[in-house]
Amino acid sequence: MVSGSLECPVRGEMLSSVVPAKATGGNKDLELTSMDLAMKLHYIKGAYFFQPEAAQGLSIHDLKEPMFQCLELYYAASGRIRRSESGRPFIKCNDGGVRIVEAQCDKSVDEWLAMARNNDHMLAHDQVLGPDLGFSPLVFVQFTRFKCGGVSVGLSWAHVLGDAFSASNFLNLWGQIMAGKQVPLQPNSPAHNISQFPISISRKPFSLKKVDPVGDYWLTPNNSKMVTHSFRITAKQLHYYITTYCIHDPNKISDFEIILAMIWQSLSKAREDSGPNIVTICSNNSADKMAMLPSNGMTLSTVEADFCVSKVEIGELAKLIAEKRMDENGLIGELIKGDEVRSDFIVYGANLTFVNLEGMNVYGIEMKGLKPVCVNYMMNGVGEEGTVVVLPSNEKDGGNNGKMVTITLPQHLLLKLNNRLQIDWNIVI
Amino acid sequence: MPPASPDFSSSVKLKYVKLGYQYVVDHFLTLLLVPVMVGILIEVVRLGPQEIVNLWNSLHFDLIQILCSSFFIIFIATVYFMSKPRCIYLVDYACYKPPVTCRVPFATFMEHSRLILSNNPKSVEFQMRILERSGLGEETCLPPAIHYIPPKPTMEAARGEAEVVIFSAMDSLFKKTGLKPKDIDILIVNCSLFSPTPSLSAMVINKYKLRSNIKSFNLSGMGCSAGLISIDLARDLLQVHPNSNAVVVSTEIITPNYYQGNERAMLLPNCLFRMGGAAILLSNRRSERRRAKYRLVHVVRTHKGADDKAYRCVFEEEDKEGKVGISLSKDLMAIAGEALKSNITTIGPLVLPGSEQLLFLLTLIGRKVFNPKWKPYIPDFKLAFEHFCIHAGGRAVIDELQKNLQLSAEHVEASRMTLHRFGNTSSSSLWYEMSYLEAKGRMKKGDRIWQIAFGSGFKCNSAVWKCNRTIKKPTDGPWEDCIHRYPVHIPEVVKL
Repeated sequence: MVSGSLECPVRGEMLSSVVPAKATGGNKDLELTSMDLAMKLHYIKGAYFFQPEAAQGLSIHDLKEPMFQCLELYYAASGRIRRSESGRPFIKCNDGGVRIVEAQCDKSVDEWLAMARNNDHMLAHDQVLGPDLGFSPLVFVQFTRFKCGGVSVGLSWAHVLGDAFSASNFLNLWGQIMAGKQVPLQPNSPAHNISQFPISISRKPFSLKKVDPVGDYWLTPNNSKMVTHSFRITAKQLHYYITTYCIHDPNKISDFEIILAMIWQSLSKAREDSGPNIVTICSNNSADKMAMLPSNGMTLSTVEADFCVSKVEIGELAKLIAEKRMDENGLIGELIKGDEVRSDFIVYGANLTFVNLEGMNVYGIEMKGLKPVCVNYMMNGVGEEGTVVVLPSNEKDGGNNGKMVTITLPQHLLLKLNNRLQIDWNIVI
Repeated sequence: MPPASPDFSSSVKLKYVKLGYQYVVDHFLTLLLVPVMVGILIEVVRLGPQEIVNLWNSLHFDLIQILCSSFFIIFIATVYFMSKPRCIYLVDYACYKPPVTCRVPFATFMEHSRLILSNNPKSVEFQMRILERSGLGEETCLPPAIHYIPPKPTMEAARGEAEVVIFSAMDSLFKKTGLKPKDIDILIVNCSLFSPTPSLSAMVINKYKLRSNIKSFNLSGMGCSAGLISIDLARDLLQVHPNSNAVVVSTEIITPNYYQGNERAMLLPNCLFRMGGAAILLSNRRSERRRAKYRLVHVVRTHKGADDKAYRCVFEEEDKEGKVGISLSKDLMAIAGEALKSNITTIGPLVLPGSEQLLFLLTLIGRKVFNPKWKPYIPDFKLAFEHFCIHAGGRAVIDELQKNLQLSAEHVEASRMTLHRFGNTSSSSLWYEMSYLEAKGRMKKGDRIWQIAFGSGFKCNSAVWKCNRTIKKPTDGPWEDCIHRYPVHIPEVVKL
């Protein structure tokens, strides 16, 4: 517990647990796929900000109670990691529950959103699975009360359980139950696609990097201190970039791809070695918004540039990204089986990774009928090459196709990148 | 077990002999009266009607004699009816059902223990072993304050728990019986480990605006058997006050008593005690005769406190670090057995049929006079009772009693299932067990129920009830939504 100060405005943490309303029983076990195991050293953090009007009169009990019903339906989130006899991890749905953190913040919601957005990670509990692996919660939900009466809901979600879409579904389900809406029980979709593309070449996937064994302490080993920064790009700006720089096929380049290109080039200019030459893209096109079982259903692909990224036209880079993506799900599935299930890998930060959360329904959650004023997602336990998360933003100035971008990089690089982004693209950091 | 060897008693012939013997002794008076009545009838018939009329006329009846005889008869009748103890009826009772937000699965309990006792892996191991063998299920409940890591047992939280438990049970009781708060003449609240000022009974009076001339009592510190002590007190008060209603509230407040240290002897209650409470309406009003569920027949209280070991076997004290907890001694089961024997010795003559009492007496005389090596005769209480409600103090307690009283699995089913579903709710567990029997549709008019409770001190208290009317299912109560799942098989050791 840290006392309130300029650096650590979040304090007074109290932990408790919330469990499914009904006994899950039958000791249901969830198998972990290769994709799940590839992501096991990563953690997702989400922060949802609600204004005082939305949180007025809601006690901690009112916030916790819907979680019990939610966990009854979404019982996988209450499970714990166990290892089978072969050493392969799986999730035992034993009703261990979700950890709830109650905290206070000395600032108001508006003050927080106005300041430089480096600290959103404080609003979700720092989560690591292990060293007591079998007794570590997979999900933490932090309720932080701000000085003005507003509330932030901070989700910490172990990536081994599911991807960001699953995490967002889970919270949306909680929101629906809190609002008293009837939740239709969807049959659970079977475990997701390993790959729809046939494996033509057999090679090691570029998007994955094997790390030294971490044993039962599932966190990416890092040498540098990783920091996070978030900023918004308005829809108008994106439209401007696309039309200005991608003169050839403005309709073929998506918002995500132009952002990717811009950041890739700026980082290349900021780094001394003009790298990186390869980036990983993580996207999810088939996310089932109503699934009651979490899954890692994303598609991992890589883009390799055989030219100097910092010197080329941004339009060319965007075109490369759009056209030369190589799907690696099949390769990952091939790699992580047999003995390799016991090895440890990282995906985010093995290369500069871009996570596309554009299709995520983050503003689908409501508290007392009001949507959150801002939602942010970021990745924790990320490798040194860094990660960029792109999600939808809801600006108040009209158009709602703007994007929220959160970058996680080693501290020294992030400063340089921010400067470059301001110079190159007029992006307000 | 009869003094004969097991082979003999399993033979069919002896079984019929035993049945015949029981019938003869139990209905001895009837069997004696019948020949006498037959004799008189034959004599009357023999005399002939004319002789009887002559006999009648020869008795000179005088006005004074008739008046005196009538007064005498009326006087005797009045004295008899006045000195008969009032019938105490249990109109109905309500048990508290904790909300799902208080649920504590095994996995969560163990995880919290590991975090709270992180400096003492041995204590954690110990707790895990207890929990595995405890006989509790995955749906028992702890109050909200205990769900925090570490628990936050403030006085406010304790009062909060008391309010939720007691008021829910009372509201439920009012709804079931149609009782109006102003009609409560006697209020008894028992809660062993939480005793604030003003008392919990004052809290109830304040909430429901009970009458200013109510007779209220608050019993604290009397352990898990306090529920039956309250019933005994209510009974005595209802003898003194005619036409009255008494409400008894039995509960145990967990919040302030969760042990936060790591002394092993004191960790056991954390694993077993859970949230629960019951409110019971007793009455001596004749108008309740029709709708009352049970009639109180006997209450027998046995206190072994005079013995030092018994006195110290459940003891609340501070551990080496100054943390307060309830220490259970290793001879708990032995002392419980002794207390039970004492209690049985007193209750036996009140409830056992004549045949069992005679056998017991003969064996006793035989042991004293002829041969001390004869095995003591343990009377068969299954002949005296249809249902048994053994306080769900823990698996060991139920096992021990099942063995001592030679009860079948079905007899102790109510106790085991209550322990599984609700945990050890202390003084209210007997009422959850009664509720189980009712929910299963086993309660028929005329059934006799034996409630046994043990408590610190060391006490063993019993109450005997007789069912007043057959209770039909479905019943509302704490078992409403889960009775169809019971009975469940409870494994010896649950793998966590």
